[in-house]
Amino acid sequence: MTMQYLANPTRFLRLANALLPYLWALTAGLLVIGLYGALVSSPPDYQQGETVRIMYVHVPAAWMALFVYSVMALASAAALIFRHPLADVAAKTAAPLGAAFCFLALATGSLWGKPMWGAWWVWDARLTSMFVLMLLYLGYMAIWAAIEEPHRAAMVARIVALVGFINVPIVKFSVDWWNSLHQPASVFRMDGPTIAAPMLWPLLVMGLAYTFLFLSLHLVAMRAEIAARKIRQIQIAEIGER
Amino acid sequence: MDFAAAHAGFVIAAYGLSLVVLGGLSAHILLRDRRLRAAARRLDGERGDTRA
Repeated sequence: MTMQYLANPTRFLRLANALLPYLWALTAGLLVIGLYGALVSSPPDYQQGETVRIMYVHVPAAWMALFVYSVMALASAAALIFRHPLADVAAKTAAPLGAAFCFLALATGSLWGKPMWGAWWVWDARLTSMFVLMLLYLGYMAIWAAIEEPHRAAMVARIVALVGFINVPIVKFSVDWWNSLHQPASVFRMDGPTIAAPMLWPLLVMGLAYTFLFLSLHLVAMRAEIAARKIRQIQIAEIGER
Repeated sequence: MDFAAAHAGFVIAAYGLSLVVLGGLSAHILLRDRRLRAAARRLDGERGDTRA
């Protein structure tokens, strides 16, 4: 299926409406299995005890915060280069979702940090770059809210999304580039995951559940944004007819 | 999960916060979608009536 095929909002809406029931079902199923793995079947950590269970909501939220920003940057690039009519809609509607995941990564990280490190927050490279990502999300959303003229708002938002993308690899590699209190990557590594299988599978399932939750909510949010733009067009046409 | 374990409150808070944020966001997005699609259909219908 080509990008041009989906450029037509009617075709996109038809596809989204057909996909959504399956995406919701997959999200619910994965969440049930993931939460069972996270809270029931996985063992406590030999050092951290039960506190390790925060990992199953913290790590997927952090993955999603980075993934959603990458989606935003990719959509912004598509809008800028190909003038794809739905690319701005995709980027704009992804931002609040990414901000929510980023907030959850910071907040659950803080709840994990207090019992393990003895501090709610440290200005460490990983935490600081994640905080910058949160500010980028908020700044991006503020642009859409503050600039009334949609074409100008879209242009400024695209540039901010693309410039801000530089922070994504900084977040990912911050634990390797600087001395950090935060632990290094233990799943996506060149030499394979270092987490024991009984802890790894619930983490991966929760990661998939968050991914499908994002996909479901993103499609719904895009559908709503298309309706909002249609309402605006009708209202402008009515003013023109008067 | 041992709810009597040390720091269990932090685990419950993390899961509770995730539930509230993701649940609240989902509800907001779903309600906005329903409201805007209904408004678009209504306006579309009104324009159709006016033209006819």
